[in-house]
Amino acid sequence: MKISHRWLKEYIPIPLSPDRLADGLSMLGLEVERYEDLGGRYKTFVVGEVLKKEKHPRADRLSVCTVTVGGDPVQIVCGAPNVAVGQKVAVGLPGAVVPRNQHDPNGAPFTLTQATIRGVESFGMICSEYELALGDDTDGILVLDKKAKVGTNLARHLGLDDVLYEMEVTANRGDWMSHIGVAREVQAIVQGRASLPHLRLRESKTRTASCAKVKVVDAKKCRRYVARVVKGVAVRPSPAWVQQRLTAVGIRPINMVVDVTNMVMMETGQPIHAFDYDLLARHTIIVRCASEGEKFTTLDGKERTLRSDTLMICDGEKPVAIAGVMGGHNSEISEKTTTILIESANFEANNIRRTAKFLGMSTDASQRFERGVDPAMAEYAADRVAQLVQEISGGEVLKGRIDVYPGKVRPVKITFRPARSNALLGTSMTKKEIISCLQRLEIKAVKQTKDTVTFSIPGFRTDLTQEVDLIEEVARVYGYNNIETKTRTTVDFSKPFDPLTLQDSLREYLVGAGWNEMITMSLQENHRWHFHGDRPVQVLNPVSADATALRTSLLPGALQAVRHNRSHGTQDLRLFEIGHVFSAREGGNAESFDGYSEEERLLLVLSGNTAPQSFESNSRKTDFFDMKGEVEALLSKFNLDKYRFISYDNAEALIETALGVEINGTYSGFFGKIDKSVTEKFDIETDVFVCEVKTSSIARNWFKEKKYKTLPKFPVVKRDLAFIVDRSLPQENVETAIRSAGGALLGDVKLFDLFVGDQVGIGKKSLAYALEIQPTDRTLTDVEADTFLSKVVAYVEQQCQAKLRRQ
Amino acid sequence: MIGNIESVRKEFARALEQATTREQLEQVRIKYLARNGLVAELFEHMKSLPADQKPQAGKLLNSLKVEVQQAFEEKRKLMEGEGAKNDVLDRTMPGRPRPLGSKHPITQTIDEIRQIFRSMGFSSAYGPEIETDHYNFEALNFPPDHPARDMQDTFFLSQSKSVLLRTHTSPVQIRTMEGQRPPVREIMPGRVYRNEAVSARSLVSFHQVEGLYVDTGVTFSDLKGTLVAFARQFYGKDVRYKFRPTFFPFTEPSADMYISCFLCKGKGCRMCKQNGWLEILGSGMVHPHLFRNVGYDPEKYSGFAFGMGIERIASLRYGVDDIRMFYENDVRFLNQF
Repeated sequence: MKISHRWLKEYIPIPLSPDRLADGLSMLGLEVERYEDLGGRYKTFVVGEVLKKEKHPRADRLSVCTVTVGGDPVQIVCGAPNVAVGQKVAVGLPGAVVPRNQHDPNGAPFTLTQATIRGVESFGMICSEYELALGDDTDGILVLDKKAKVGTNLARHLGLDDVLYEMEVTANRGDWMSHIGVAREVQAIVQGRASLPHLRLRESKTRTASCAKVKVVDAKKCRRYVARVVKGVAVRPSPAWVQQRLTAVGIRPINMVVDVTNMVMMETGQPIHAFDYDLLARHTIIVRCASEGEKFTTLDGKERTLRSDTLMICDGEKPVAIAGVMGGHNSEISEKTTTILIESANFEANNIRRTAKFLGMSTDASQRFERGVDPAMAEYAADRVAQLVQEISGGEVLKGRIDVYPGKVRPVKITFRPARSNALLGTSMTKKEIISCLQRLEIKAVKQTKDTVTFSIPGFRTDLTQEVDLIEEVARVYGYNNIETKTRTTVDFSKPFDPLTLQDSLREYLVGAGWNEMITMSLQENHRWHFHGDRPVQVLNPVSADATALRTSLLPGALQAVRHNRSHGTQDLRLFEIGHVFSAREGGNAESFDGYSEEERLLLVLSGNTAPQSFESNSRKTDFFDMKGEVEALLSKFNLDKYRFISYDNAEALIETALGVEINGTYSGFFGKIDKSVTEKFDIETDVFVCEVKTSSIARNWFKEKKYKTLPKFPVVKRDLAFIVDRSLPQENVETAIRSAGGALLGDVKLFDLFVGDQVGIGKKSLAYALEIQPTDRTLTDVEADTFLSKVVAYVEQQCQAKLRRQ
Repeated sequence: MIGNIESVRKEFARALEQATTREQLEQVRIKYLARNGLVAELFEHMKSLPADQKPQAGKLLNSLKVEVQQAFEEKRKLMEGEGAKNDVLDRTMPGRPRPLGSKHPITQTIDEIRQIFRSMGFSSAYGPEIETDHYNFEALNFPPDHPARDMQDTFFLSQSKSVLLRTHTSPVQIRTMEGQRPPVREIMPGRVYRNEAVSARSLVSFHQVEGLYVDTGVTFSDLKGTLVAFARQFYGKDVRYKFRPTFFPFTEPSADMYISCFLCKGKGCRMCKQNGWLEILGSGMVHPHLFRNVGYDPEKYSGFAFGMGIERIASLRYGVDDIRMFYENDVRFLNQF
């Protein structure tokens, strides 16, 4: 939203520099993103008059001119053929930066200095249109209007002494989308009052009502409709000043009528539409909703399909405009137009927004209506357009307005408690101070009691509906930065303090164990590959093809990270992520939470070598048991003694070698090696091991209270046992047999050697275990230990068809 | 027994002489001097001697032990001295590397913010990323068909647009208040989604940290005090600040907080777009509408809320000029944090 400083000054005196004004408005909440001082570039250019012109004594094509610029006449050497005595010209004085150099191929700017040209002194320069960057004419100097006042700053003379502010208008303040609205806000930082220009309208004897009719069918969506008719209009391009104004605030001039409606909109905030009166069947306006699926061609030549809640402006036969959004092609103002019907209406905000959203259109009109427009402005704006059209092009303004205003909007009254305001803001303002704050924004106190003040809200402040809204107004005018910044606070002991979360602990452990945390995108391509038969949740309005569905697993993001790192030279990876995954719930209602499931998972990725490269490399390629060890360590660290690895059946075969993780009897995740067909899709030419588990399963045991177990009082006896078994026999069977035979006396059991070779026989393997025998009540004798061991050996040999391997 | 002692003495002397490397010396130590070495074995054996033989054997054994230990120590010192001469350990050899772990810079930033607020009595709360219109908009005072909804371009999951990806962490405010009575002091980090074109400055999802404080008698002064204390802790104690009115549907009054640019100290630079100030968070006094929605009496309770974008804060802080870097997970990048 662009606001012109010159334009603004027509409504309120502004004794502030652009810098101060911008800062003041920003601190009120109307953010000035930037401003541009158009006049700045012509600061040292003035209007001059050529008093005398003589030939240069030593150059045929140069003239020596005497020019007055207000004070003593100055001598300027000029090369233009068209310079003549009596001309008003644009003079650049020494120090001025000429925007374009006519003698430079790129037209680079240069700084004027006092110079001697072929022996004659020159104290300035008479400039061409090109040099001033006002046009492309390089043939001669720019000759100004005869009425130009000598000594006037050039920018002012040209109407370019303006500052343009780029404003960021918040969604609640439709009134800021006009110069009068901004001028009203300026009242909070300057002394003056904002006011709109007085209307000077010359009406004819013919009554508007006798030439046109307006009927509002849907009064809920159209709160007010004001119409005026102007006859004998000549539709031509607007005069320069109108075009300049519109261009300055970013609106393209079209023709006199349209330009005036736009100008009045920029002035008052009231969107206005002008119809070619002669194209309106039966000179009638009917405001009603479209029928579902109806087609309509808007001004921009596009055909639109309407809905039954789209409010339309129709004539006696057909729709002629989409109310509050855009006019129609069929009633457009053209050069042939001689009579216009001016529409200055007020449409209900929500409906305009729905329509604009549905049609995918956002116009100057819809943006204002959806933020709220003061219905009281409609009549002023209609009159103002009629007046300006008349002033600019002549024409006959018919007498009176048609004004359909079924439910006149009364001013909102809000009861305000100064004590409440102070309690919320932490201020101690008096009633009087508060009243005077709000008065600056035209919010007037209409009634007072001991503890309350009732304020009447001006119609243009559609955003103010309750007490707290007024408290904000008080704070804004008082100044947020004038409110105390408290440096003391109380701490509340009534609730438990924040404990560290499981996620905090997981991260702490993993980072310490040398893992890098990653965060990957949760919106993924749809769907690179399905996982677990999960049904991904689709986004209905994706912004790009690579972000159309929510991840059902952390895996795709992890594989992308592996690919990225490998292609950037990092092969050895230990990565983890904690993040949410999502899926659509079969048979669930998609319109509620019931249709979706969302859970948090932890993912580990291992790839490359087990350790960084070193001078005596004991590093090797990561394998399945590295991942298994990491998973065991993690689960043990988080007190999960009741976990178990179960067989893992993956129908999609994404995982080549895998085990499922069961915690407390519940399936909680898996780990394993990603199948080659999958890694290949990601251009990864090495093994990738992953583990993905639900964090909720880990959390359940994490909070377990810790209890100390007494340390053994009697020495541990350590013995090793090696068994020869069938190669196909899982070691787990042997280990389990040892444990069950060992019973309570047996402490730790660890597999420390696996051997396959001729010595143990074909189809056999040797498994060696270190056993700890841990009596709790006495020291074990050698004999007791031996007896114990032979019992274990006998049981294992019988259970596992094993043979004890003798050294 | 005595014979045994003598033979151990001789064997030891020979073995010690023959040991020329450190490994061999270690073998000697294990064989004779370890806890279950030959000398210890002799002591063990002595226990089974008849009582009258014990004193003599004990004496001999003790002298053997001292002798053996001294001889061993001498040899060890000698060998190390020689070793130092002949086989100098090149101490410039690199240490054996171990993998470095790192917490993601986004997590680090969130944790640091949580930590500061934790010290002010705030605890952490979390919420789902799939939300309903109710929690994401309606309960937060975004009326249907209000232009305020355009402030946050939304990804919709269901046809009627009632289920969506949360556009901010503010729904957790509602969930938190629904679950407890005041006083409430919570900090609510999480991932949020916006339907925006991807660029160096914007992604379809990013992280926010939301804060909420509700109690009796909470004022705008408390809001300022708390957030200034945070900013001084997080950005440095000399940071200057200002609050500017703005609009959020769920707070009234609403304020954007700015701090003096920490790169140029407020003089104006590329980071602060030459104006010397950086916008770091949005905040405001909780709108009474929210209190009514969760069954708090707005006449009794007041509070403030605030929210900040973590990627933005982390980029400013670490000088990362393209926020996509945070999602590439390049280990060379991650290891810098």
